Amino acid sequence: MNNVNNNETLLRVEHLCQYFKMGDSELKAVDDVSFEIKRGEVFGLVGESGCGKTTTGRTIIKVYDATSGSVYFKGQRICAGTRSYKDAIKAARKELSSTTDSARRAELEKVISENSEEIKKAKFDHNHSDEEYAKHLADETAHEYDEKIATAGSDAAKVAELEREKREQIRVAKKSKLITQIQMIFQDPIASLNPRMTVREIIAEGLIINGIRDKEYIDQKVYEILELVGLVREHAGRYPHEFSGGQRQRIGIARAVIMNPDLLIADEPISALDVSIQAQVINLLNELRDRLGLTILFIAHDLSVVKYFSDRIGVMYFGKMVELASSDELFAHPLHPYTRSLLSAIPLPDPHAEKRRTRITYNSIAAHDYSVLKPSMREILPGHFVYCNDPEEERYKKELGL
Amino acid sequence: MDKILEVKNLKISFRTQNGTLKAVRNISFDLERGKTLAIVGESGSGKSVTSKAILGILAGNSITEGGEILFDGMDLLKIPEDEMCRIRGDRISMIFQDPLSALNPVVRIGRQITEAMLLKNRGTRRAGRRDFNDTLALLKKNMIDAKAAPESKITEMCKTFDNFCIEAIKLENNYDLALGAAEGMAKDITDFVFMAENNQKQDVKEELAEILKELKELKDPLLTHKYDARLAKYPPIISRYRAGYREGKKGTVAPIARDFLDTLNELGGVLKEIIDETRVNFFRIGYFKMKNPNEDLTKYDIAELNEKALEFLNRDFMNEFIGYAAKGIEYSAANALAAKKDVLPKLRTAREFYLGAFTRSEAEAKAKEIAVEVEKSIDRLEVNKDSVAYTFKTGLLSEINKYFNAQKKNPKEEARFAKQSAKREKLVAKGKTVDWQVIPKNVYDLDELKQDIVSVFDRMIENYETRIAEAANVDYHARAVAMIDFFRDKASQVVYKVTKRMAKEKAIGLMEEVGIPEPRTRFRQYPFEFSGGMRQRIVIAIALAADPEILICDEPTTALDVTIQAQILELINNLKEERKLSVIFITHDLGVVANMADDIAVMYAGKIIEYGTADDIFYEPRHPYTWALLSSMPDLDTKEKLDAIPGTPPNMIYPPKGDAFADRNKYALKIDFEMEPPQFPVSETHWAATWLLHPDAPKIDPPKAIVDRIERMKKAGGETA
Repeated sequence: MNNVNNNETLLRVEHLCQYFKMGDSELKAVDDVSFEIKRGEVFGLVGESGCGKTTTGRTIIKVYDATSGSVYFKGQRICAGTRSYKDAIKAARKELSSTTDSARRAELEKVISENSEEIKKAKFDHNHSDEEYAKHLADETAHEYDEKIATAGSDAAKVAELEREKREQIRVAKKSKLITQIQMIFQDPIASLNPRMTVREIIAEGLIINGIRDKEYIDQKVYEILELVGLVREHAGRYPHEFSGGQRQRIGIARAVIMNPDLLIADEPISALDVSIQAQVINLLNELRDRLGLTILFIAHDLSVVKYFSDRIGVMYFGKMVELASSDELFAHPLHPYTRSLLSAIPLPDPHAEKRRTRITYNSIAAHDYSVLKPSMREILPGHFVYCNDPEEERYKKELGL
Repeated sequence: MDKILEVKNLKISFRTQNGTLKAVRNISFDLERGKTLAIVGESGSGKSVTSKAILGILAGNSITEGGEILFDGMDLLKIPEDEMCRIRGDRISMIFQDPLSALNPVVRIGRQITEAMLLKNRGTRRAGRRDFNDTLALLKKNMIDAKAAPESKITEMCKTFDNFCIEAIKLENNYDLALGAAEGMAKDITDFVFMAENNQKQDVKEELAEILKELKELKDPLLTHKYDARLAKYPPIISRYRAGYREGKKGTVAPIARDFLDTLNELGGVLKEIIDETRVNFFRIGYFKMKNPNEDLTKYDIAELNEKALEFLNRDFMNEFIGYAAKGIEYSAANALAAKKDVLPKLRTAREFYLGAFTRSEAEAKAKEIAVEVEKSIDRLEVNKDSVAYTFKTGLLSEINKYFNAQKKNPKEEARFAKQSAKREKLVAKGKTVDWQVIPKNVYDLDELKQDIVSVFDRMIENYETRIAEAANVDYHARAVAMIDFFRDKASQVVYKVTKRMAKEKAIGLMEEVGIPEPRTRFRQYPFEFSGGMRQRIVIAIALAADPEILICDEPTTALDVTIQAQILELINNLKEERKLSVIFITHDLGVVANMADDIAVMYAGKIIEYGTADDIFYEPRHPYTWALLSSMPDLDTKEKLDAIPGTPPNMIYPPKGDAFADRNKYALKIDFEMEPPQFPVSETHWAATWLLHPDAPKIDPPKAIVDRIERMKKAGGETA
């Protein structure tokens, strides 16, 4: 779609893991996933249900606490897990108990202390990133107003006015959070809207939580956003049940967009909608993206829509990212067998082609032999990553004629 | 073509607080045997309502305003509930949209699949016994009245017939059980040996226990008497091996001794011989056995026994019995024919009566009177029941009821409408803003309803006229033979008892068929232990448990993701081929139906707006709504902005005048807002309801995105074809 010219990385996910306890064992919902999203692009995340794409989205926005790995937003770590450090310490302690070599012992001691340091840092970043951000923002605001007051100089009335404004703005700044710049649109527009709140309350809730008290300003903002998403002012007083599915999803989008986010996580925003309404919502998201310069993490399982909407696509399979490439590249040269199987399952509105279509089945045990050489994410072409091991990498390269 | 289901002029609405919602407005379609009809439309277009009407599971506030759903000579909208019960699930089955809410969360999967089989079996057994007894009693009475033979002789023969029929089928059932065990065991053994030879992991102890259990069941004097000695040596060997077998360590497969596998193969050979034995004809042998209870049947060769028994049966009993039965049937048919001739003029006068004016009590009295006459004229001994005559009374009474209810309701509705409109006008005149709408009038057309009453008579008269004309050339002997077959069927229904174990085996077979791995373990699990795709497979297995003729799929894949969706669609397609199912496939996603459907009906606001074969709809769409549906979904080559359909579907409490899609249609003509378009034929198989096809309409090309895509598809088709 749009060419993303700047190279600013908005979101960086590094070795993110999210495990859930399941009785005695653990479910690895997201297992060592890394990717980057550049400002202004749409990053699509596809895979079948249960592969961890929604969990990835939710971990980024800190609905879950990450087990391990880090998420950097605008260069600041907002989300960090400690499991990998703990594992390193555990391994070091174990070795420590059996080795007698003093040089090695010192080395291990160092590993332990370094990792404990990392754990402290990760915990701090995970829990206090918003406070740090708010502090920083408040300082900046204070500085800005100080300058303004200095230029206003002798005008006492204006200075008083500015002072009042400064107090107000600092209060808002102290309440603001970095995480609010990431917003989420949920899959089910019926379940995600509180049936007892009017549309105005639903949309304004975020602003109010963030300490904005000016009723007029809030109303103004709500009307603006309603019109932006294709609803009208009159809708503000109604309740969610009075709307159709497509309109409800628009309310969900409005609620996310009013916070003026930089990153929007759209978790299957169209799966629950009729085909004709799906097109309306996609067009709306596209329009918002052009107007507001949004960056979108688009989670979906409908590949034709993802292809249409995204700049780059990551394919997930059972918690792992198995392939990552620009959308054209991915569809032109799918390398990982799972991607091929996914692509072969897309239904097309073409009876003749459909009758010829053969579905490729993917069986991860039969398709790969990882008993000797372990796989990792490798760059086959610039920007095209595949999860594979050495022989596979060579094979893929050969397939591409490299 | 062979039509299995016909829907004609179906109209359904729902009573709501704000007025009557017209959900389905006059739709007609046919479903051909072995074909798939897809119904496509947005939510609220009435597609699910149509399917629910077919199954008779509409919500309580629904009103069936008119139309017919014809299936196997019955009108599904008019038959009583207990008859519907026999069709629903048994002959027409449904796969629901949301597998999680269609399954009971606290009942094991296995029980949910077998439940229907067991219940159904109990019902059929009871009904079979009733039918058998009633028909036999009726036949007896007619034979006596026809004076075919002395009364005492007839009574005795009927008793004999009853006894040996049931006894014979009982014998047959035992035989079938043993045969089934042999077949199942043969399959188990092949599987077991295959797995063992390929070092695949399997639960050896359980598999062997299964085989042992089946060996125990393999006992039927007529089937296995020759083999008993040979079979006797296997159970000890197997149970000894089973007891001595030790599982391999975690993750490894302990090999199975070669000589044990050879023994199993040997057993398999014996089983094959048993399965290939000539089948005993129990209907013949039952009589033989009854007459010679002490004869040891096992000393005969089976083929020889079959012949001998037949000869004995015919000579001693059957020829005579059939002769008498034919006389009885002829007597009954002659009586019925006379009654039919008698009732025909009465039907005609009654028809005249219903054309004129009448009060409710008059009409009902008259209906009951004529219904009694009609019931007398039905030949009860006909095996193929005359469904028109049988449903005459209920059909007529329901039409009369509808007519008078409408007559009573119409003035009330008029009064309410007048009152509300006056109130609103008054408020408007005062200059107040009125934020409520007057609920539109919902009055019935009394003439039309009257015509419905008359048409019941028309159908009846036509039916009897043809029957009277055909009466001269009926072969009563053939009908008597058919009657005997009927008794035999009923007897087998009475005796055929589905045990829990049989149901389980059948259910596991079904689960395997729909592609659930390890069905034996899965059988004991709860719905929450299954993933979405697996759950949907379970729902499909349940729908197939009763071996239906029609399968209705109501958005079976909407809740699933692409790979699973593709699997489920493939599964439904395969099952359709294997079982010769006719499928009604309901969805909002045109992409899904491209490889499923033979015919497609596009629905909008309760009407079918375009109908054609899959090729017609995808390569030559004519209705702007179909264009919009096609262009609003991106395919892999779409780059430009999507053509979304603006707005939402109309509120069907206030059905718009003219074309319902006109408001959202950028190609709408002026006439679209004034008059509803009729169906314009495009080709023999294809029609569309849009004014654009009228010869005077301006020529409008479909949107560019669609033209391009069709062009591309045709090109791609040409390249690979």
